[in-house]
Amino acid sequence: MRALFAAAWAVFVKDLRSELRTRYALNAMVLFAACTAVMVSIGTTFIGLRRTDEALLIQASLLWIALLFAAMSGLARSFVHEEETRTLAALRMAAPPLAVYLGKFLFNVAILVLLSIVTSLLFIIFVRVHVASPLAFLAILAGGGLCLASATTILAAMIAQASFKSALFAVLAFPLLVPPLVVAIQGTALSLGDGGLALALPALQFLLAYSVATFVASLMLFPFVWEA
Amino acid sequence: MVQQMAQVGKLLIGVWMAGVAAAMFLIVPQYEGLGNAGRIIIMHVPTAWVSVLAFALSAIFSGLYLWRRKPAYDDYALAAAEGGFLFTALATITGMIFSEVVWGVFWNWDPRQTSIFVLLLIYAALFALRSAIDDPQRRRQLSAVYALFAFVTVPFLVFVAPRMAESTLHPNCVFIQGSHCDGITLAEGRIGLLGDHKLHLLELERQGDVVTAHVLVGEPGLARETLLRPSFNLATGTMMDRPEFPGVRYQLGLERVDLASNSALLNIEAPGTGVLANRTTLYTFLASTTGFTALFIWMLHVRATLLGIAWTLAQREGVRL
Repeated sequence: MRALFAAAWAVFVKDLRSELRTRYALNAMVLFAACTAVMVSIGTTFIGLRRTDEALLIQASLLWIALLFAAMSGLARSFVHEEETRTLAALRMAAPPLAVYLGKFLFNVAILVLLSIVTSLLFIIFVRVHVASPLAFLAILAGGGLCLASATTILAAMIAQASFKSALFAVLAFPLLVPPLVVAIQGTALSLGDGGLALALPALQFLLAYSVATFVASLMLFPFVWEA
Repeated sequence: MVQQMAQVGKLLIGVWMAGVAAAMFLIVPQYEGLGNAGRIIIMHVPTAWVSVLAFALSAIFSGLYLWRRKPAYDDYALAAAEGGFLFTALATITGMIFSEVVWGVFWNWDPRQTSIFVLLLIYAALFALRSAIDDPQRRRQLSAVYALFAFVTVPFLVFVAPRMAESTLHPNCVFIQGSHCDGITLAEGRIGLLGDHKLHLLELERQGDVVTAHVLVGEPGLARETLLRPSFNLATGTMMDRPEFPGVRYQLGLERVDLASNSALLNIEAPGTGVLANRTTLYTFLASTTGFTALFIWMLHVRATLLGIAWTLAQREGVRL
């Protein structure tokens, strides 16, 4: 067990290091998020939205659109990179499948943490999103990010072995992400209003349940992807 | 012998489905208030059922493939997905036709519409994944993993449903154009519109815990008016008598009473499961479900056998599929 976690941590650190050298995924994702935030800002600040329930829902949807598409451009990176540099075979020999999965999952979570922080800050500054319950907002953001990571990591491993990688990644991921996205958008809208953590709790429970279910399914299915 | 039985079975399914189609138009009584459009449920609900069945079968065969590694299981998984895609499309289209005729909108992001839309997307993704992988064994393995993984996430749509249920079009809500599920609140003596009906709340009469509303119901422009008396139990907070609107099978329910302001919330209630209370409709419906299920299983078998033959031929000739 300890050996597994040590191997997973090694995979995570290796990915982090190679990412920090090239900053390929990070650059793409952060620039994408910045572009979206600026576009939304240019489009909406002149309107002077009143803080109705609808306005909060629109702001929450825009935030999650920015997050989702930025994530789609970077989350597949860790596996696709291994395929492109032909290091998959080495990784197969060096670490057990579960360690590889856990390492890549951690890496995706780390990327998403950074991405969510940057995107929400950009939205708070440029789109004038006012967060009335910061704790609930952070919790929903974390839950939604966890869902994104747990649902897409195994898909990234699958599309690394297929052609048309990036387009296929979005096609495979979107139908699976509909339920958590619907809940995350509505939960975020609630957390922008001043309802506190209690109001966002059901959404949070759902997001946690979804991420646990997809995480466990990934753990069970990943060996089949890895050996294919 | 087996082939002959298969032939007979094939013919039987054909005759059976023809019988269902005939019964749907000739025997099933019109669902009052929905007109002839109501008949489409004989096709709509069974196709929706088959699309869910196909999805489950596809996941089961994918699991079997990962466990046993027999290409035949993958053929069945693919055939189930292909058949399921067809039936999902049929369920969506019949539902949209019905929705447009009866409610005036093709699409409403109703919970069931959302789930079937996601199901369509999952099937499409599965086919996209298959076509993007060249190596047959890898293709089988990865698509089996995707089918199983998608199967894990679909139940979560059920939890999304209550959050979006306010905009439902499916039964137990309202069937009339221009009306919403929230009903109308009227004070004593006031007149209001509920769907196509004009309601005039004459008075609220209280006897113990039971409040009875006297409502004059008419259609705008028509002189004929009917007095309906829906009632409400204050102690339990539930509706009691729900009289039917004249001429249709919708009921008028008294959903809430506010004695302080002497006002009441009135709403149209659909008869709910009333459609299947009719014996003829119920039997036709069951026959249709059986027929569609048999049709799907036959399609599944034929398609899977064909895929198996194509694979054997390709192997013999050394062609890569």
